[in-house]
Amino acid sequence: MSNLILTLTVLMVLFCLGSSRLLSIIYLIAFQGFLVSVLPFFINDKITISVILFILVTLLIKSFLIPIFLYFVMKRITIKREIEPIIGYNGSVFLGLIIIIISIFIGNKFNFHINHHNTFLFPAGITTLTSGIFLIIARKKAITQVIGYLMMENGIYLLGLILSNHNLNIIEFGILLDLLVGVMLMGIVLHNINKTFDDIDTTLLKSLRDL
Amino acid sequence: MKSLILFLTLIVLAPLFSAIMLKIKAFFAGKKGIPLLINYYTLIKLIQKTSVYSISTSQIFQVGYLITLATTLTSLLFLPFSGLPPLLSFNGDIIFVLYLMSLGKFFTLISAMDTGSSFEGLGASREAFFSFLAESAFFMVIISFFWFDEKLSIASYFMANNKINVWNNYNFPLPLVGISLFLILLTENSRVPIDDPATHLELTMIHEVMILDHSGPALAFIYINSYLKLLFFSSFLTLLLFPRFGLDNKWNIASFYITLICIYISIGITESIMARFKLNKVPKFLVITFSLATFATIIIMGFAR
Amino acid sequence: MTDLVLIIIFLNGLLIFFTSIKFGRYLFFSSGIMHLIMTIALILNSQNIYFNSYLKCTYEGLVILSIISFLFLCIIFYSISYLKEIQLSNERIFTGSMVLFLSAMTLVSLSDNIILIWVAIEATTLSSAPLIFIHKSKKSLEATWKYILICSVGIALALLGSFFVVLSMDIKGINCPLTYTDFSNIANLLDKKLLKAAFIFILVGYGTKMGLAPMHTWLPDAHSEAPGPASALLSGALLNCAFLAIYKTNKILILAGLGNFSNKLLIIFGIISIFIAATFALKQSDYKRLLAYSSIENMGIIAFGTGVGGLAAYGAILHLIHHSLIKSSLFLTSQNYLFAYGSKLIDKVGNGIKLMPKSSILFIAGFFGISGFPPFGIFLSEFLIIMGTLKQGLYSVAIIFIMLLIIVFAGFAKYFIRIIFNNYDGNIKIPENFQRLLPQYILLAVSIILTFFTFDFINSYISNIQIYSEVLHG
Repeated sequence: MSNLILTLTVLMVLFCLGSSRLLSIIYLIAFQGFLVSVLPFFINDKITISVILFILVTLLIKSFLIPIFLYFVMKRITIKREIEPIIGYNGSVFLGLIIIIISIFIGNKFNFHINHHNTFLFPAGITTLTSGIFLIIARKKAITQVIGYLMMENGIYLLGLILSNHNLNIIEFGILLDLLVGVMLMGIVLHNINKTFDDIDTTLLKSLRDL
Repeated sequence: MKSLILFLTLIVLAPLFSAIMLKIKAFFAGKKGIPLLINYYTLIKLIQKTSVYSISTSQIFQVGYLITLATTLTSLLFLPFSGLPPLLSFNGDIIFVLYLMSLGKFFTLISAMDTGSSFEGLGASREAFFSFLAESAFFMVIISFFWFDEKLSIASYFMANNKINVWNNYNFPLPLVGISLFLILLTENSRVPIDDPATHLELTMIHEVMILDHSGPALAFIYINSYLKLLFFSSFLTLLLFPRFGLDNKWNIASFYITLICIYISIGITESIMARFKLNKVPKFLVITFSLATFATIIIMGFAR
Repeated sequence: MTDLVLIIIFLNGLLIFFTSIKFGRYLFFSSGIMHLIMTIALILNSQNIYFNSYLKCTYEGLVILSIISFLFLCIIFYSISYLKEIQLSNERIFTGSMVLFLSAMTLVSLSDNIILIWVAIEATTLSSAPLIFIHKSKKSLEATWKYILICSVGIALALLGSFFVVLSMDIKGINCPLTYTDFSNIANLLDKKLLKAAFIFILVGYGTKMGLAPMHTWLPDAHSEAPGPASALLSGALLNCAFLAIYKTNKILILAGLGNFSNKLLIIFGIISIFIAATFALKQSDYKRLLAYSSIENMGIIAFGTGVGGLAAYGAILHLIHHSLIKSSLFLTSQNYLFAYGSKLIDKVGNGIKLMPKSSILFIAGFFGISGFPPFGIFLSEFLIIMGTLKQGLYSVAIIFIMLLIIVFAGFAKYFIRIIFNNYDGNIKIPENFQRLLPQYILLAVSIILTFFTFDFINSYISNIQIYSEVLHG
């Protein structure tokens, strides 16, 4: 089951890379957030109350609060599509595939077997993380960059699941809170960018530079 | 013996299955639809006509459709329907079958070019491009199967004792292979959303435009070929998807038939709810197909053994 | 129990957003004073901590904490007059974010948990972003966007690095609390390969926040667009916080026997930063950006010194203290210029010595200070770093280092002289006043005092850090 969830997570990455409609990317990232946050149910050995609570809060933030917030930001923005990505969609999807292959190689090299034997967790995490960074680099619209950031955080979350069960929960709430506040701040800035520039294209942000 | 009977019934029923698909489309359009045996009537009607060949065509045009039909029929011999042993099988036959299909396609293309019509040349070039992309995806699927079984034989993939099947729970990327096979099926058989078999607007046609010059029995053979080709791909997909009930179980055949019909129905549904893609969107669709197959292959190579 | 004051300061910050502007100001001032009291109490009794599984007073943490506390007090004093002049429409955002920023930085300097320090550093990004955003102009929007995005992404990598540190423990089947103290105790048991990967991620991640090149691109934009007091705090306190996290991780690596690897990386990043700053400082049109590049240079020097180790590590800590004092005084003074001339462009500023004599003296003094002239402390610290480098036998590196320092000096000298002595016709808009000069005088004076007079407690702190370094570097 955990393998299926991870496969779907990586599939969402590929869809995000190949999709040009901004709204559908938000749906995809919401679904990915859902997949990522229910994963601990299937790989943790023992499910305690605190684990359940943590999963619920993650679920709430990753797959409801943040996507709904982004959805409302999108509602106010006139641009619905990524017009000219820096790297095209087909190219991005192929690059995504290459990233998967490379991360599987890296995963085989490190060979983590700690508290469970899901060998796909590490490559999936690396893939999601790297593709998130790739989205930030290869797309011009600010909202896609926010989604790239979210994807990156999802990847790091997956990698964090490799750790054995340290009693981290209070601090992980801190991480989640930071993520939530960060995305909200980005949304507010994005809204203001849209108001000031009539667009959310980050190539318009070029007045501050040297040389 | 069982295999032979199954093979013959399927070939005889192939036009019927296609008609089921038409029925579904009619149902979605809110129409009563044509009778289920319509395809047989059409074939009988066409065979009774005499052949008319354009004077600008050569011998190739007259044998092309026959070769195509022959290749498709031969490839069907290799399929282990419902997990029973196929009529023909050897190691490496999957590659053989793929190239047989390509040979058939080559003759369809060359007879289209043979007419000297610019329309048919257009269709031929599109067909060649799209099936090239679809074929690469199909090869990816085969690579993923090879990683399961280390043999290049359709029989060893799907025969009951050695099964690549979605319902084995360790094969978690196989549904993805199934999806990409379905998309390949749509492409190879010129179905919506790649190509619309019902359209007669030359600028958008791909497959239909190539057979414009055929008439009478020749057209009938081309129709039969298209039913059998659809049957080949659907059966291939069915072998991956259908639930099995142990070795040599008679229910296997029933479940095979039901799954096969379900696939035809789902093609009908796809055709009803989707519009044809703009021509420049088709390569993107095929790239997605290819990436899905590649993705599944990577995951199988990495983990599923 | 002293650390509970931190919660009060944090609540203060939240409360500011919901009260009247006037009461908000009182809360703003009182948080600074409370913070100073807390710092003094922690210095006097560093064991008195309630959340002792997460927080701990380390020597390096206390040095940075006292810098933050002192700077914040000076900046509050400056802000009294600043807020009067500038008439912000959303003053609550300014004061509230400043206090939240203060509490986040305090958490960084006190936290001992490897994940908690990440949470705190990310919190500094989030709480300081509204400060850059405060004017809502096109440029400040751009600066804020770059700041949030680049820093968040960079710091996310640092989280990955922190996970790797934990993983390097898990993989060996050890289970202990995730604190720097515990990691230092079991450092030689950790998995070496993972620890190396972890350090790279942490260096790149927190290095982004610290302004190490080539991840520095947000820094000139953010520092130049933020209001003066905020840029003083960003440059003087925030960068140190990010450095603290790198420093602590570096310590683990050295104890694990990977000192060569981590120190080499620190030296490389340090040299690249100084080089980038030197290149860009030669051609600048904006004096706040110039100061920002100087921050990049100084962070490079600190990373370099830490990487070289021994005497140079001692110099690096000294450099950190003096850089904070001098650089924040320069940023506050540059706000006086911005008030007077209404422009950040060097071409539109001039004749400072006649029009704004006191600010100009401060500017020149700060310039000499930051360029490493006596009597300011940076002379001493750079001297120590160079001595340390030579002592380690890294002659070629030392030569590159000195050459780059000279280039940076040349760039700064060109523009500072222009600002102060160039012709300028026309009047200044808002003249300098006493309230906006005293904090800078105090900051510079403290730098001089710390250079010439030795205070037992400060020296014992720095030498405690140094003992670490010397033991570690042999």
